[in-house]
Amino acid sequence: MPAKYWLIMLLLVSACFSKAEADPQLTLPDKGGLTNQAQTKTTSLDQPMFSLAGFGSLGVLHSNQNAGDYVLESYLPSGAGRSNEWDTSNYSKIAAQLNATFSPKISAQLQVISAFESDGTYQPEIEWLNIKYSFSRDAYVRVGRVGWPTFFDSGNHDVGYSYPWAHPPSELYYLLPIQSGNGIDFLYRYGIGDARNTIKAIAGENTINGQTVTLTSKNMLGIFDTVEYGYTTFHAGYQIRNTSTQNNTTGNIDPVIEHNNLSLGIIYDPGNWFLMSEWIQSRASYKANAMYLSVGYRVKKFTPYINHSQNTPGSFASGFSPSDFQLRSANRSQRSESIGMRWDFKKNFDLKLQFDQVTLSDHSNGFLENVPSNQNLYGSTFYLFSSVVDFLF
Amino acid sequence: MRTIFINRNIFKLALVLFFAAGSLVARGEVVVIVSAKSTITSLTEEQTARIFLGKNDKFPNGQSAIPIDQPEGESVRDEFYSKVTHKNASQLASYWSKLIFTGEGRLSKIAEDDKEVVKEIANNPNAIGYIDKSALKKNVRVVLTP
Repeated sequence: MPAKYWLIMLLLVSACFSKAEADPQLTLPDKGGLTNQAQTKTTSLDQPMFSLAGFGSLGVLHSNQNAGDYVLESYLPSGAGRSNEWDTSNYSKIAAQLNATFSPKISAQLQVISAFESDGTYQPEIEWLNIKYSFSRDAYVRVGRVGWPTFFDSGNHDVGYSYPWAHPPSELYYLLPIQSGNGIDFLYRYGIGDARNTIKAIAGENTINGQTVTLTSKNMLGIFDTVEYGYTTFHAGYQIRNTSTQNNTTGNIDPVIEHNNLSLGIIYDPGNWFLMSEWIQSRASYKANAMYLSVGYRVKKFTPYINHSQNTPGSFASGFSPSDFQLRSANRSQRSESIGMRWDFKKNFDLKLQFDQVTLSDHSNGFLENVPSNQNLYGSTFYLFSSVVDFLF
Repeated sequence: MRTIFINRNIFKLALVLFFAAGSLVARGEVVVIVSAKSTITSLTEEQTARIFLGKNDKFPNGQSAIPIDQPEGESVRDEFYSKVTHKNASQLASYWSKLIFTGEGRLSKIAEDDKEVVKEIANNPNAIGYIDKSALKKNVRVVLTP
């Protein structure tokens, strides 16, 4: 990453840090706090230096469109439909996380996950590995591999237990599959009246090894803001990056393209029901949008929900003559209507059932993979069925 | 023989009713407490919810706030969270799983029971906890009865 980006990050961090020092509320020492007391007076509430936790999912995905594979992540090599009528690979994953707390200010996180990857294996990978320095409990900086919070569930995308659906709305995540970066992130939270504002600034780089192409993103910079007020949460983010695409078979590397993304989201969750909606605009060689709207209702251990999710075909700037690959990528567009239910049947376990009706745009096979080149599924509609168990341990 | 059998059933029924009524009373009221040494006198549900959901680590007056939780499965815990945060046990577990596995949050310290909560809070003007009203002592102050 060029020095100038590190400099910008440093300036951001120091600016907010100096503000934190100027604010007497933030520098209140923890004297007499439980952290000290617990160590001297009682040992029962001491938190261990190391803690281990994990999560996982087991599930099946069925598609009645057997001319192509429906994949839950755009970089997966196969899914439900053509390769397997009932696919277990896309949902199945298991992960373990080690948290180390060296002092109230310094901690570290290591998360290793075994999930279906672009190379068709379940080879364990490091999802997160970072060291965190907390200036106060409202400001921290992390260095290492950290989550890229484009969407509400970007960082916990693999933690099925953390969201109500069988899987997050595909159309949104297809548009921006980058969920982490190697770099540095900085967070600062503060209150404005009854509202709470959280700003996060990130810099880093990322590589996605797809089945046919490798996407290398450098100079990734992002700024994300979250406002929580009552039952409402707003989220907005803006990010830029330079991405190059390498063809895995020919080795050819396309010229670097500058991407920028604007994302917005809202959650209203008073407890017994929720509404969630997110939107993203992606600008690179072409401009495209995606959005979803989800409404759910909670009745005891059951959470029925309905979703609408869609992405638009990309539009090129006038005068730009796209390559075949760019044109095919830009044309990929589809929409989904979903109905499902989460059942919290046991402590730390849930079972989800979901039906999706997916309609491909008139000029593409959507995000289906492995469609034979002589097949044209343009404008077709097909159905998915998901059954997943998520768990924490 | 037959009379005794029926009587036994009536006895059992009475016993069940007695305990059912007893448990209704014992469910009692959850109260949110701070140390008697604290300057905090009252809190709203929302202010309390934010402290226990890791969204705020300060009292409204700017003083640092340290939440003391109770073990999962305790009825006082479920009652506190459903009244104050409008989240049931699985919603809460789901909420924390997002924070823990993105490295954004850490669980609060957990005391064994009401008695230990009172003990920890009495000595610490920054601590805040919740207990059943029946476990109240003079060295702690109720700041919210949700």
